[in-house]
Amino acid sequence: MYELSSIEKEYNKLMSGFQIFLKMPEVSVDTTPHEIVYTEDKMKLLHFLPTVEKPHPVPILMVYALVNRYYILDLQPDKSVVKKLLDDGFDVYIIDWGYPSGLDRYLTLNDYVNGYLNNVVDIVRKRSGLDKITLMGICQGGTFSVMYSALHPEKVKNLITLVAPINFDTQKGLLHVWAKNLDVDKVVDYYGIVPGDFLNAGFLLTDPFRLMIDKYVGMFDRIDCKPNDEACLIRNEEIVRNFLRMEKWIFDSPDQAGEAFRQFMKDCYQRNLLIQNKMELNGKKINLKNITMPLLNIMAEFDHLVPNEASIPLNDAVSSKEKEMVVFPTGHIGIFVGSKSQKEVCPRISKWLTPRSGLDEEGIPDIKIKTSKRKSKKELHEG
Amino acid sequence: MSMEETNFEATHEFFDMWVKTYEATFGKVSEVPAIGPLREKSEKISKGFPLFFSLYSTWMDTVADFQNISMEAMKRMNTKKINLEDKTGTESYKELYNAWMESYSETFKEFMRSGHFSSDMGRFTSNFLDVQKYNREMLEENYLKPSNLPTKSDIDELNKELYSLKKQVKELSGRINELSGNK
Repeated sequence: MYELSSIEKEYNKLMSGFQIFLKMPEVSVDTTPHEIVYTEDKMKLLHFLPTVEKPHPVPILMVYALVNRYYILDLQPDKSVVKKLLDDGFDVYIIDWGYPSGLDRYLTLNDYVNGYLNNVVDIVRKRSGLDKITLMGICQGGTFSVMYSALHPEKVKNLITLVAPINFDTQKGLLHVWAKNLDVDKVVDYYGIVPGDFLNAGFLLTDPFRLMIDKYVGMFDRIDCKPNDEACLIRNEEIVRNFLRMEKWIFDSPDQAGEAFRQFMKDCYQRNLLIQNKMELNGKKINLKNITMPLLNIMAEFDHLVPNEASIPLNDAVSSKEKEMVVFPTGHIGIFVGSKSQKEVCPRISKWLTPRSGLDEEGIPDIKIKTSKRKSKKELHEG
Repeated sequence: MSMEETNFEATHEFFDMWVKTYEATFGKVSEVPAIGPLREKSEKISKGFPLFFSLYSTWMDTVADFQNISMEAMKRMNTKKINLEDKTGTESYKELYNAWMESYSETFKEFMRSGHFSSDMGRFTSNFLDVQKYNREMLEENYLKPSNLPTKSDIDELNKELYSLKKQVKELSGRINELSGNK
């Protein structure tokens, strides 16, 4: 009798999960209000509307990876790195790389770093009226930001890297191990534009049973309500909504521009040239010793995609006098959306960046600003 | 048959023998020079056989590896002490599920971390792409070209041309801006 009732309970749980799925509207992501201030080909520059009257003068430009989409940094209001930084008084920009198509197959790493990224930095500098801005690079975007800061140090005031691979010669991350045996030329020559699904299959294989089975079992397991418990039902809906937001992000994988993918995989993952100061973009060597600006290097202790060994050597490779390394006890994605993100990661970034963002202790600008194109909070919110 | 005694060595042995026999017999046919009016076409077709064979061969290796690793995971699960006492109904299923998940997840992760898996997957991907490329070339040769439709290389050529033109336009616009003092 007891067994039957427990089976019935599990069955009801499963059914209530399905019911929530059936009536679930399209989930929203990327909800913090923003304007598009610059576009070039498929790339867009997003400027988030400030939430404080007088933001810090030095703006932050966030550079996300080409794989997956930037909105993991603004997944939902209570899990948004962007919103937290806005509330802490920063002026935030982010690059949306878009979805490359066949037309973009010949884009190179040089086009991304010295082309799009450089143009965007110039736009942000112009809008803020400053010569230098803060660059915050995430994952592969962190690698790009490091390359950029080494090539254009005169435009970067502060550099923040989050879970960014710089040293690729490690056996700790599965992607690092697998990449060594991948015939990159064959992949690029065949596909041209490397399918996002091809890369996603690789990410799923890093832990196939957990990522393809247990994750879904766990989601249904968390749905547990007594009949007519309205508060619990609402909570369940929120659980499903949060789960679907993550699902949407995980499988929203843009295809990769072939030539850029070829160079990134060969020069970084296979030859590990960047950390040895041997990598070249457009014939120019990237010397990490040219990085002299303050550096904050953030890592996740349980990162299964970018192991700490891939990020730690950056601090020794640069010439910056002010440099810090922080490791949070979380994973590669948890650092943006986990419980530690809002409580520890963002406050740490704000604490480090505030004194370097152009306001003195009394809130008065301590740097010289040229004529700024920045609108006031009121003007921006009135559109 | 006890599980301890079970392995896939025999499968490997059988498959190795099959590969050697194929290479010594039918495999040789594709190397025979083509002759006659359809010489060119039949040569292209025969080039596909070794590619298909290599893919099949690496696929069989991969399947045998996964069978071995599944068996290893099952063995590890058997050694786990699962306490089902005091557990009733779905709780005992959950206990079993957790033990299964832990054993399989950890064993597979361990295997995938190995150089063996990495080189096998590299080989499999490479052979898979060779076959895909061959299929595409045959499709283009036999259907697209005779129908006067653009092939992948035609489209790539156009994309390359457009890419260089766009790059040139950007460079020229930048220089114009510089000269007019806008930048």
